Amino acid sequence: MIRMHRVTKRFPGGTEALSNVSLRVDTGALAFLTGPSGAGKSTLLRLIARLERPTRGRIMVNGRDLETLPRRQEPQFRRSIGLVFQDHRLLFDRPVHANVALPLEILGYRRAEARKRVRAALDKVGLLQKENAQPQTLSAGEQQRVGIARAIVHRPALLLADEPTGNLDPGLSREIMQLFLDFNRVGMTALIASHNLELISALGRPMLHLENGSLEARHVTQPRSAG
Amino acid sequence: MKDAGDRAGCLEAWLYNHADAARRSLWRRLHAPGQTLILVAVLGFILALPAYLWLLLENARALSADVDHEPRIALYLDDTAEETVSAAAARIDAWPGVARVVTTGSEEALATYRASLPDPALLDWLEDNPLPAIIEVLPLERSPEAVEALERQLADLLPEATIVSDHEWVRQLGALHAAGLRMLLVIGALLALGVTLILAVASAAELRERREEISIARITGATDRFLRRPSLYGGLLLGLGGGLFSLILLWVGVLLTREPVEGAAVVFGLPFAFAGPEARIGLMLIGAGLVLGWVGGRLGSAAALRD
Repeated sequence: MIRMHRVTKRFPGGTEALSNVSLRVDTGALAFLTGPSGAGKSTLLRLIARLERPTRGRIMVNGRDLETLPRRQEPQFRRSIGLVFQDHRLLFDRPVHANVALPLEILGYRRAEARKRVRAALDKVGLLQKENAQPQTLSAGEQQRVGIARAIVHRPALLLADEPTGNLDPGLSREIMQLFLDFNRVGMTALIASHNLELISALGRPMLHLENGSLEARHVTQPRSAG
Repeated sequence: MKDAGDRAGCLEAWLYNHADAARRSLWRRLHAPGQTLILVAVLGFILALPAYLWLLLENARALSADVDHEPRIALYLDDTAEETVSAAAARIDAWPGVARVVTTGSEEALATYRASLPDPALLDWLEDNPLPAIIEVLPLERSPEAVEALERQLADLLPEATIVSDHEWVRQLGALHAAGLRMLLVIGALLALGVTLILAVASAAELRERREEISIARITGATDRFLRRPSLYGGLLLGLGGGLFSLILLWVGVLLTREPVEGAAVVFGLPFAFAGPEARIGLMLIGAGLVLGWVGGRLGSAAALRD
């Protein structure tokens, strides 16, 4: 699903966020990306979603070489990815269901069908009863779950999450991680950045450790149990 | 993806997306009534102004066409014997391009003049008759070219005559009308450019307010086309509103102008009916509003999405 070969990302001003990173995450796998703040986790996820371009190196995602992906095919490519952010990035001018429906709107779903899917996604994250609520009335954990529902409502092949439990207490964090494991169980490949080592090491999934822009473990295969 | 079947068909999805964008633009316009009204008013004023000027020009042309029913050429002949005048008149009458010739001898002219004076005895002070003989020629063809050709022919025949064509002022009016139309075109183009830029700035500002939504939509795979669609519909809605408003303004202008203009025409002895805008003008104004709104939305969204 994801292959990175000797990828370097240097920002204007000379900061090198990633140096010579190579990794592979197979289809159907779930891996955690760990490391301290500033290790380059967010940059790595942004490179995979092509929100950034690498300075050097090659990235293949879902069979597509991002170096040769034309700009006009970028939207099509992004539709195969679901993104979850630490700060949720919800739209506060519309209710929960409209936030979750955004990817379906872009994909051109009929209203009735979109409604059904939105409800299914909200049900999955346990927020069905809040579908008409305004996001600002929700707790941080609920907001994050709305963000997750939005990321998976169009059933993307790949889910990328950047510190999804960053602002949550341990109980909520465990719930959120459990959601990702559930999605992975039905076939969604997932790469989740988190610095909460205590939580994720208990989950028994592969971890890619980033430190100062360099990676240790590299190849993540599909867990035998899911095969 | 495996669930592609759940999605609307390609055309249906496209239509649905468009309907949705139109609905959203309408909603946005209605939720910013102040700004919407200002933009509709600006567009309305700017469309109504050239339309009103054009209407005035068209009415002026209609007036000249009314007057222009029978062009005539008058030849004034001083100190010419009656026989020479009538011989010339007979010759002119035989020309193929001439409809009719009316001759007024100098004596006859003097008699008419004398009859019009309150004190005819005044004329007895004159030694000779100062009035010329007049040959009035009515051309068969009324086009300015035909009249001009006839004038030249007459000048050749009677080089001593003073030739005055009442067709001249129609030609002058025609030239003025053409110049007026051209000026109107320039004014209209400048106004259109100005209002397009105003609409573009407004549309760009609206998109910048939705920056967060756009950024998330982009991350989720929205194309630029998808993102600018509401701006285009917003522009079309403003254009429609502006076009309709300009039509109202134009009618108000016509109603305010009609009476004094028709009154003035009567004073000049040229009764005519001041024509209001035809349906064609209404359609053109609405069409122009739609085009300007669309172009404004397109320019504004292009600028905002590039940022």
